[in-house]
Amino acid sequence: MPTTTTPAGGIPRIAASRIDVVGESWILRVPRFGDEGAHFHTYGLLTPYFQGLREGRLRATCCLNPGCPVSHGAGELWLPPRADCPDCHQPMSWKEIEDPRGYVYTYTYVERGGTGLELPCPYYQIDVKIEGVCTIVKSYLSGPGPVRIGDKVKACFRTGKDATHTCLDLFWVKDSGGA
Amino acid sequence: MIEFGPANLRVPRWTRPVYMVAAGTTDFRKRYPERKLEELCMMAFRMLLEENDLKLDPLEVKGHINFAVYGEFADHFQDQLLCEAKVHDYLGLDPLPNVGVKTGGATGGSAMLVGANTIASGYSDCTLVLGWERMDEVKTWTGNYYIATAACKDFETRLARNYASYYAPMARRFQEMYGVDERLRAEIAVKNRGYACCSPFAQQPGRHTIEEVLQGEIVSDPLRFLECCAMSVGSSAALLCSEELAFRLSDKPARLFIAGGSHTLRTGDRRPMRIPLLPHETEEGYRWLYQEMRKQDGRWPGFESFGASRFAAYMVYRMADIQVPIEALDLVETHDAFTISDLQTYGDVGLALYGQEQEYVRSGDCYLKNPHTGAPGRCPANLSGGLLGTMHAVGATGIFQCGEVLWQLQGKYDTFHGDPESWRRYGKTKPVDWESLQVKNPRRGLAVSHAGVGSHVTCAILEKA
Repeated sequence: MPTTTTPAGGIPRIAASRIDVVGESWILRVPRFGDEGAHFHTYGLLTPYFQGLREGRLRATCCLNPGCPVSHGAGELWLPPRADCPDCHQPMSWKEIEDPRGYVYTYTYVERGGTGLELPCPYYQIDVKIEGVCTIVKSYLSGPGPVRIGDKVKACFRTGKDATHTCLDLFWVKDSGGA
Repeated sequence: MIEFGPANLRVPRWTRPVYMVAAGTTDFRKRYPERKLEELCMMAFRMLLEENDLKLDPLEVKGHINFAVYGEFADHFQDQLLCEAKVHDYLGLDPLPNVGVKTGGATGGSAMLVGANTIASGYSDCTLVLGWERMDEVKTWTGNYYIATAACKDFETRLARNYASYYAPMARRFQEMYGVDERLRAEIAVKNRGYACCSPFAQQPGRHTIEEVLQGEIVSDPLRFLECCAMSVGSSAALLCSEELAFRLSDKPARLFIAGGSHTLRTGDRRPMRIPLLPHETEEGYRWLYQEMRKQDGRWPGFESFGASRFAAYMVYRMADIQVPIEALDLVETHDAFTISDLQTYGDVGLALYGQEQEYVRSGDCYLKNPHTGAPGRCPANLSGGLLGTMHAVGATGIFQCGEVLWQLQGKYDTFHGDPESWRRYGKTKPVDWESLQVKNPRRGLAVSHAGVGSHVTCAILEKA
C-alpha cells in the first residue's frame, strides 16, 4: 500500500486543477489570469493618431525630408501612420486628412470572428484607398450592404465617450456624394 | 515604390552543396491528447532515423548530427517558452547546439533555410531540422484569435480575430481583377482534400464535390469552410547533410536549394513596385498586365500576389539554375492554407504568368493525372494533401512539405503512404480505394512555405542527386 506523510501542521490548501480524461491521458485545465493577465500596450509615437480619432480627426504621416530617395521631401501620406520613414529613416510629419473619403479597394463579409471580437457579426471589413495615401487602410463599414469594389465611402469616428481608444474608432459609411 | 539597390538582388552563393537525405513525420490531428508535444517530436525523429533506408544504424546516424534547427510558430499555443530546449533534451541531443526559428506560417521553411546554411557554411556536416505545433490546448475560436495576432495588433487584429478574414479580401480582389470563377477555387479544395485521402498522415481527407464546397458555410466571404485549413497538431523532421556524408548515409539523397523573401505584415502597406522577373519572363510579357492594372487602379503585388514568394522564387531559381519552372519542376507543394493562396502562388513562382493563374489550374497541369486529357499533369500540386487536406501544424509545415517532395524524388510515395501498417499505427485502415500518387521519375520538386498574408516565404527546390 502506498503511504503518504503529512508534515506537522498539515499541507497548504491548493485548489485542485480540473482534469479531463481522454482515453488514457489526463488533460489539465489551465485557466488564465483575468485582469491580472492584462497586457499594457503603448501606442508610442502613434498616440496622436488614436487621440485624433477620439476627436473625429484622421491624421496620417508623411516624409518631408528633401534628402529622402523616395519622398524627395514631398512624400505621400501613410495610413496607418508611422513615426519614422522606412526609406530615409528620418521622423515623419503629421498631417490631418480633411473630410476623409475614399473607395472600397477590396472587402470581405465577416461571418464569424475569433474570441474577443468586439464588432457584432456579420459586418463588412473593407480596405479603403484614399487619394494621396500610398497605403490602403483596413477598416470596417457601418450600415447595410451590399458592398462592391469601387463603392465610395467616407470616414466616421467613435468620439468622446463612444471612443474605444483602438483602431475601431475609425469606420466608414457609404458616401452618397457631396461635401 | 520600392526600388532595389543592385546589391539587394545578389543571388546567394553557398560555399558547398547541401543535401537532404531523410524525413520523418507524425500523423496530424485536430486534437492529439494521446501524446505530449515532445513525444510527437520523438515519433517524427524516430521515423527519420529508422525508416529512410539510411545505410548506418539509427544511433550511428544520430552520432553524426552537429546542429539542430527547430521550428515553432507560436509560444502562446504551446504555452511553453524554450520548447526547443525541452525537445532537444527529449531527443537526446544535448549538449549539441540548437536554435529556434519563428516566421509564422513559413517557420518550417525558414528552419530549412537556417539548417541549409549551417551545412553550406561548413558549421555542420549533419543538421536536424524539426518542427511542431500543438494547437489543441485552446478552443478553436481562441486559437483563431491567437493566429490573428499575426495580423497587426494596432490596426488589424480587432477587425476580425480570424485569419480567414485577412485572406478573404485578397480572394475578393483577385476574383474581380482576373474574373475568377468561384468554382475554380472550390476545385482546388476538392483536389487537395482528395489527394489527402491517400495519406495516412492526413487530418481532413475527403472526397468532396465543387457544389459541396460552394454550398458550405462561409467563414469570411467569399471563403467557405472547406477552403480553409484547420487547427492541427503534429511534428515533422528533415535531415540535411554535406555531400560526402549524404552519399555515405543514402543511395538516394536530394540536392537542396532554398531562398527566402519577405513583405509587410499588413497587405495594404505594400507599395507598388515593378515585378522582379523570373529567368523565363520579360517586361514585354507583362505590358498587358501593367495596362490592365492601370485600368483597375491595381498595383503589384497589391492584394493579388505575394512579393515575398516572388522574391524567394527569383533567388532559388537562379541558385538552382532553373530557366523555365514548368519544364524544370515535376511537382510542387504550395502553402494552400486557403484555396486562394494556392491560386495566387502559381503566378508568384512562375508556373503561370501573373494573371493566368486561373487558366493554369484549368489546364489540369496541377493534377497528377490531367482530368481533361488523362495524361500526366506537368507539375502536380500538393499530392501530400497540402494544408487543406493533410496538415498545418504550423512549425512543422514547411518541413513536412520538403519530406513529401523528398519521398517523391526517391520513388517512395507508396512506401510511406501505401503500407497498411503505416495506416494502422495511427489507428486508421488503409482505404480500399487507395491509389498511388507517385509521380513518374520526378527529377525536381518545389516546396513553398508561407507566412501571414505573405510576410515571409521560402522556396525550396529539391533535386535528385
